[in-house]
Amino acid sequence: MALADGVIHDIGYQRYTGPRLGRRYAAVSLYLHSLRTAFGLGRTAKAKIFPFIVVGLAFTVAAIAVALRTQSGNVIISYLQYCDAVGIPLLLFLAVVAPELVSRDLRAHILPLYFSRPLRRADYALVKLGAMISAMWLVLAGPLLLMFLGGVFAQKRGASGAWHEFTDLLGGLSYAGIYALIFSSIAVLVASLASRRAVAAASIVGVFLVTTPVVGVLQVLGGDMLRQLSRMIDPVLLIQGLSNWIYRTHTMDIAGYGPVYLAAAVLLVTGCVSLLVLRYRRLTV
Amino acid sequence: MNLVELRGVSRWYGNVVAVNDVTMTLGSGVTGLLGPNGAGKTTLLHMMAGFLAPSQGTVTVAGQPSWRNPEVYRILGLVSEREAVHGFLTAWEFVLASAKLHRLRNPQDAARRAISLVEMQEAKDRRISTFSKGMRQRTRVAAALVHEPDVLLLDEPFNGMDPRQRMHMMDLLHHMGDTGRTVLFSSHILEEVEQISGTVQVIVAGRLAASGDFRTIRRLMTHRPHVFAIRSTDDRRLAVALVGEASVTGVDVATGGLAVRAGDYGSFTRALPKIALREGIRVRQLVPSDESLESVFSYLVQGTAS
Amino acid sequence: MALIQTQALTKRYPRVTALDALTVDVEPGIIGLIGANGAGKSTLIKILLGLLEPTSGAVRVLGFDPGRDAETIRARVGYMPEHECLPPDLVAAELVTHLARTSGLPRTAARERASEALRHVGLYEERYRQVGGYSTGMKQRVKLAQALVHDPDLLLLDEPTNGLDPAGRDAMLALIHRIGTEFGISVVVCSHLLGEVERICDSVVAIDGGRLLRADRVSAMTVERDLLAVEVDEGTDELAARLGQMGLPVTRDGRLLVVPLESDDTYDLIMGAVAALDLPLHRLDQRRHRVAELFAAAPRPAAGPARQEVGHGAG
Repeated sequence: MALADGVIHDIGYQRYTGPRLGRRYAAVSLYLHSLRTAFGLGRTAKAKIFPFIVVGLAFTVAAIAVALRTQSGNVIISYLQYCDAVGIPLLLFLAVVAPELVSRDLRAHILPLYFSRPLRRADYALVKLGAMISAMWLVLAGPLLLMFLGGVFAQKRGASGAWHEFTDLLGGLSYAGIYALIFSSIAVLVASLASRRAVAAASIVGVFLVTTPVVGVLQVLGGDMLRQLSRMIDPVLLIQGLSNWIYRTHTMDIAGYGPVYLAAAVLLVTGCVSLLVLRYRRLTV
Repeated sequence: MNLVELRGVSRWYGNVVAVNDVTMTLGSGVTGLLGPNGAGKTTLLHMMAGFLAPSQGTVTVAGQPSWRNPEVYRILGLVSEREAVHGFLTAWEFVLASAKLHRLRNPQDAARRAISLVEMQEAKDRRISTFSKGMRQRTRVAAALVHEPDVLLLDEPFNGMDPRQRMHMMDLLHHMGDTGRTVLFSSHILEEVEQISGTVQVIVAGRLAASGDFRTIRRLMTHRPHVFAIRSTDDRRLAVALVGEASVTGVDVATGGLAVRAGDYGSFTRALPKIALREGIRVRQLVPSDESLESVFSYLVQGTAS
Repeated sequence: MALIQTQALTKRYPRVTALDALTVDVEPGIIGLIGANGAGKSTLIKILLGLLEPTSGAVRVLGFDPGRDAETIRARVGYMPEHECLPPDLVAAELVTHLARTSGLPRTAARERASEALRHVGLYEERYRQVGGYSTGMKQRVKLAQALVHDPDLLLLDEPTNGLDPAGRDAMLALIHRIGTEFGISVVVCSHLLGEVERICDSVVAIDGGRLLRADRVSAMTVERDLLAVEVDEGTDELAARLGQMGLPVTRDGRLLVVPLESDDTYDLIMGAVAALDLPLHRLDQRRHRVAELFAAAPRPAAGPARQEVGHGAG
């Protein structure tokens, strides 16, 4: 009688001979992981509460805008106005998420584990910033898309109307991008300086708030040029100025200072990003 | 004289029993207080030092209870595990302050003596914030010694020290034990305890599992066979002969030698030389392989767990 | 090829020199890195990983220069830091998978190897819980798993038994030994505890004040000396007297009798004496040097017999 077959499989340590994908893949992995962290995905239910409330609110405002539009037949809240309306409260979203992305890692002292991998320090900094920008933009982009769909069905001019709606949407999306870019650059830089999330959150809000009285004083003090230039210290006013120049929204008198607003914005963003990269390069782990 | 005595001491926090019916006496010399993390070592030390009252039982130092008895600090010094030291003070200032707090008649002399005892004379005028871990510990020991206490308690004094710093500290503690003081230090790193003190008090989950010389404790553990490592000129033949011996319960043959399990320590240790001679085998090495503090300790922990 | 090579490696800070012209060649195997706290060892490890730049001198890891090819090195090196470094609100399996991907492993491979790494370090169903709830021993194992997950050629472990109780320490040391011998990965272990180092390392690099104190194989440092130690459970005096009568010079060291090892006959003579006196023989062992001797301070006048000279048990 033949014996039955049997074999013991080798499940000892196996060496890895597969592909090793290098710096860019590592950076993309970190980016995706960070993006999921921003929305609380892959973590406890508690971590999802705040982001989902924010997303819910953003969509609610968009839904209201759509409702108003279908009722009245006119655009009550434009894409750009939506960004202004929701973008500023999104500051709170930033104040909570940026510390989650950045301060948490500092507090846990996990950076040596990242920096001993094929990921440069600058990569880490830029990826975290990119994730914050993406997260904020997504929170605005989703509802904008909803408004677009609502708008397309509500408008009565057929194909040309739909196209018009589409270009408006693009404007809205790019404006959302400007908000995301400028707000995130500041927030992530501030958060990277604090290892406690609460301190980082308060500091982010503080940085945005503290500019208001300063600008107020300068507005009263000076002449035209000072009035225009002082606005650029306040990120919110800076963005408004930009929207006036780029999208010709006429909410503010910018008196030909448009290009200056642009230069100031570029300077602000590049400054923040450079400081962020410098911060992580200089950090001793 | 037994300076520190604990009798039937228990300490609980609600339903958590940190120390459970411990009776021990400490005399002069160095004793190691041993146990896994969370076993109750710090609680015991704090009760001895009068920081905590026992929920039950008595803790006396030189016949006096240590709780609510400031007098006890004349003869007792404690170096606790975590202590914030003001980094801006120099070592001298810190020790002098301790001397003054003890209301010594001549604090400068006392401070000077304590500092020379820990061999910090050269560094005494430097700020503590510039010190290495070992130097910081020594400064704290000096501050605890400044009133020349008869009893010195140290909680995890070797934490984070490198080999040389540890050796300095060990020498210091031994010196103090040799001059008649009662020194008790806690540790969960057995290598340290083994090198400094043969006398141990082992705490497991709040209970006192064993006291005394750890080698003697091992002999007392008759429910466990003793394991010896043997190397000889003919291991296999020796193994055959040993298996025939009544006190041997098992022999493992490996390339490096034999591991022999003996149920009866006394019979085996007497029989082995005779067997070797009879067989004409030269024994090059006979070493008890489970006599290290580590083995004794793990036997105790497992024993109390089962 | 040497695993790690340094040539006059120096790292200077404004007030302290952490590494001072360190020149050493390290061969593959399990290497113990021992020495004074702080400055020397951690600085060296960070330079090897490219986390710090040396002030001067050359260094090569696995044949590469961390200054130029830091990424190549980091893809093949695993690092287990000394301090706490795990975010408490991530599940262990998630964390190790994420770090595997950041090391360049594709998604499926990362997940599989993370699972395997956790199994090899002995974490089973606990891996689905958050790291925050882990004991110190479990956290140390997660740290080790993330260092192993991308199958490095070299592991750098900084105080791997920190905070572990004796049982945990044993388990960790056994695991490291397995990794170094069975898995075929070279390991550099930083440790304060010389007993551990003697137990599991093949060679030792001792650094003192930033300079190389000694680099050698453990077997060379624990060489046997020409002395034999004998311990009997009772009757030590009788045995000492008998050995004296037989012409063997005997010195007493606590419980031990120490006899110079003239020739192989010495073993037989001692055995004969013990058997004749019907004494219980507890220990017969050749004395050995210990790694701790590298750091021995000058003997104190009041000190008793040298405590380093404990007869070294097998295992």
